[in-house]
Amino acid sequence: MSLLSINITEFAGRFHPVLVHLPVGILLLAALFIILSKFERFQSLREAITISLFLGALSAIASCVTGFLLSKTESYEPALLFKHQWFAVSTALISVVAFFLHLKNRRTEWIAGMIVILIMITGHLGGSITHGSDFLTKAFTSGTSKGGEAYGNPILNVQESHAFKDVIKPILDARCVACHGPNKQKGKVRLDEPEFILKGGENGLTIVPGKPMESMVIKRIILRKDNKDHMPPIEKPQLNAREIDLLSWWIASGVDFDRQVKDLEQNDKIKSILKSLESGKTTVVTVTSFLPEQNVEKASEAAIKKLHDRGVAIVPIAQNGNYLSANFVAVESFTGNDLQMLESVKKQLIWLNLGNLGLTDSNLEAIGKLFQLRMLHLQKTKIGDQGIKSLSNLSELQYLNLGATNVTVKGVEQLSGLKNLRQLFLYQTAISGDDLTKLKRLFPKTYIETGGFEVPKLDSDTTVLKAPVIK
Amino acid sequence: MKDEKFNIQLLKEAEHAVLQQYTRRHFLRYGAMGIGALALSSLLSSCWTGSKKSSDSLIDPANPLASRPPMFPGKAKSVIFLHMAGAPSQLELFSFKPELAKLDGLDCPQSLLEGKKFAFIRGVPKMLGPQAVFKQRGESGLWLSDNLPHLATVADEIAMLNAVTTDQFNHAPAQLLMHTGSARLGRPSIGSWVTYGMGTENKNLPGFVVLTSGGNNPDAGKSVWGSGFLPSVYQGVQCRSEGDPVLFLKDPQGMDRDLRKASIEAINKVNQEEYTEYKDPEILSRISQYEMAYKMQISVPDVMNINDEPQYIHEMYGTQPGKTSFANNVLLARKLVEKGVRFVQLFDWGWDTHGDSAGNAVDIGLVNKCRKVDRPITALLLDLKQRGLLDETLVIWGQEFGRTPMQENREGKKMPFKGRDHHSAAFNMWMAGGGIKRGISFGETDEIGYNIVSGKTEPYDIQATILNQLGFDHEKLTYESQGRNFRLTDLSGKVITEILA
Repeated sequence: MSLLSINITEFAGRFHPVLVHLPVGILLLAALFIILSKFERFQSLREAITISLFLGALSAIASCVTGFLLSKTESYEPALLFKHQWFAVSTALISVVAFFLHLKNRRTEWIAGMIVILIMITGHLGGSITHGSDFLTKAFTSGTSKGGEAYGNPILNVQESHAFKDVIKPILDARCVACHGPNKQKGKVRLDEPEFILKGGENGLTIVPGKPMESMVIKRIILRKDNKDHMPPIEKPQLNAREIDLLSWWIASGVDFDRQVKDLEQNDKIKSILKSLESGKTTVVTVTSFLPEQNVEKASEAAIKKLHDRGVAIVPIAQNGNYLSANFVAVESFTGNDLQMLESVKKQLIWLNLGNLGLTDSNLEAIGKLFQLRMLHLQKTKIGDQGIKSLSNLSELQYLNLGATNVTVKGVEQLSGLKNLRQLFLYQTAISGDDLTKLKRLFPKTYIETGGFEVPKLDSDTTVLKAPVIK
Repeated sequence: MKDEKFNIQLLKEAEHAVLQQYTRRHFLRYGAMGIGALALSSLLSSCWTGSKKSSDSLIDPANPLASRPPMFPGKAKSVIFLHMAGAPSQLELFSFKPELAKLDGLDCPQSLLEGKKFAFIRGVPKMLGPQAVFKQRGESGLWLSDNLPHLATVADEIAMLNAVTTDQFNHAPAQLLMHTGSARLGRPSIGSWVTYGMGTENKNLPGFVVLTSGGNNPDAGKSVWGSGFLPSVYQGVQCRSEGDPVLFLKDPQGMDRDLRKASIEAINKVNQEEYTEYKDPEILSRISQYEMAYKMQISVPDVMNINDEPQYIHEMYGTQPGKTSFANNVLLARKLVEKGVRFVQLFDWGWDTHGDSAGNAVDIGLVNKCRKVDRPITALLLDLKQRGLLDETLVIWGQEFGRTPMQENREGKKMPFKGRDHHSAAFNMWMAGGGIKRGISFGETDEIGYNIVSGKTEPYDIQATILNQLGFDHEKLTYESQGRNFRLTDLSGKVITEILA
């Protein structure tokens, strides 16, 4: 039954991503054969040209057909789609022409060159549609990443800034525009420019000026995450409470695209949120997201097995990911050599617990090579100031536990270059008083915990209430 | 006869000759269709569902407790669940109801009694005002009574759930519901689900440890930490805090460790041969159990020994080594979590404050019980915090249900002491650490704490939240039993997103 209910055109269209690779490969190969067969050494390749041009043309036509069907099922950026479609059709036509010219033994070198150029253009346009037009160039632009805070740089004077351009647009850009922008318009919604924001999508208006709770955009953002209509989709970066408040405030104040922040009405809460934009990122005490944004290849099975056999609990952070966590808690008779095994998983290892082991300063060099580490437990080990310098290479480190070790303020100071460090645990170390003040100044964004908590003695702790004596 | 034999001989030779003519080309030619069919079948299989969808594909039968990745990156790595068995009165601890004080001693209005069933209240009971002094605590301004003066100092660490509700008003079914997602026997407990889902990080220790105090096991018995239909390796291991922590771990008299080791090795060798012959994964499981038992002989006495903790830690927790006490169990819980144990479940018995005796009075026995748990729980939160473990350890304080705003009148008579009956409609629980917001309060009850007004939280929601913090979707962590997939929250459960950091 379910097979019948599948929409046949949609089903066929979905083969487009598979089929497109055939003409790319076959036609490029045909072009290569055409050029090469001009040389005496490769003359024999001439015989292969007919069949490769034939298959290439055939697959190009198939790709065009499936591509056309696919384009009807979802909405894509029309301008890009138009170009991609017609370049693709031209490629198919030219390859058919090439095939017949070749059959008639005409010269085909010039047409081979055309095919190569057309395929490159068509392919690039197709890629831009699916991966976004900045996919290729993203590697060069080190701009703000999509997963982080919406505000890369602090706003100098938030009250003088533009409400939409400086405060609201960065939120939309970071959280919504990837799917609701120039490249993709899921649900026919675009949230990148004022005219589109007001226009709405296939389900009607996305924003109702003055009424945030009636605006689709707010409704779907605050839906419970387990609701399928929740936005952004649960696997994408979510808006934080601050961003939701700002967005609601802007909608409530009438959806204005030109005025400055100071011209819009603000209550105390919004004022303080706006103020916080001036200082850039808020200091986050707890580590909220410790996963790197880029994916990584799978670690070698052999390396993982070796660690397993040694008693290390080493598992991916999540089922569909390749980043790893390793816990040495059950390793018996630990030696420094055990750490050498970690080098083979250094690209994947982001969480490491070496607490309560006979770790010494000389072992820390091996740990310093694990450049992806986000969280590192070194508590209750014999490490001290000498070895700790190696840790200053761990630029991604967010959590470091040095509790019950021999480190002093001199050692910890060497880590001041760790810009991502959010939490530093120094319980049961010699660090306290002035040293601690010094460290807090050196690590302004880090929560430093030296512990030593006590639960005070109260008289009531030891007295036991008894029933009143009834006479 | 001879001919026939000869013919058969000929036929065989001919067949052999044909077979010898097969070449690699033949194989590929005839095989191509098969390969195509294989590819097609995998392609088409997504068009219908019929395949088993339990979550157990990741489990290695030889090592069922091996650490496994959660579904998505979890905030917490381990859980400590503190259950006050018997159900303390929320109206003397967390739920501040000044309106109720005004009604103290008045007859309960009929509207509250209509259609309601109570465990002991009969006829028309009197209202009972709060028997404790409440204050707002910390920066968060959470209301906590003077019965918990130490916990009040760490109010900013906890997320208070004000509107928890259940549909059971007797201890055993309510405890089962809280821990297994069903008021009836037979379902796996939450600790079993968690160790089934993600194993444990220390192969030398059980993944799910249960510690009890207060003189009795909880009313629902060992089923509240049972594994139900899950493989029995996932059931909670009850450890004693007095005497041998786990029974029969000591070497028997006249048998030294080397002999013990040799016999276990011999048994495992026999089992290994059995496995080579029959390939039954259960045999591998048995081998690993023997090995684990042997390792536990060393690791358990070590981790379960609180004597080696420094004096200031004993003072902080209020522990007394050598005795069974809630404080000792709390300190053990911290040690176990530090050692990589996944789920530690504490039950403290004796909170059933009906008012039938001084020990069960909300203004006497309850106060004394609070004094026994206030210090260790506070110490636990602070100790986890200073050790850098609070963020990855989820602490839950809970009970099976709440208590009535009315004074209990067992058999319609006035009770000798002030007590409250079981109340399922509204009570409090709290969570801390493990990626939960600090110092917040969620949900509201009415002016006398009788019914919930907003932020309804069911046991399923608490279970869903615990699984979520460990990195599991409670709807997808399933096990097939009796022909269908089961999950902890069965058909309900919503993650309490409002309290997630």
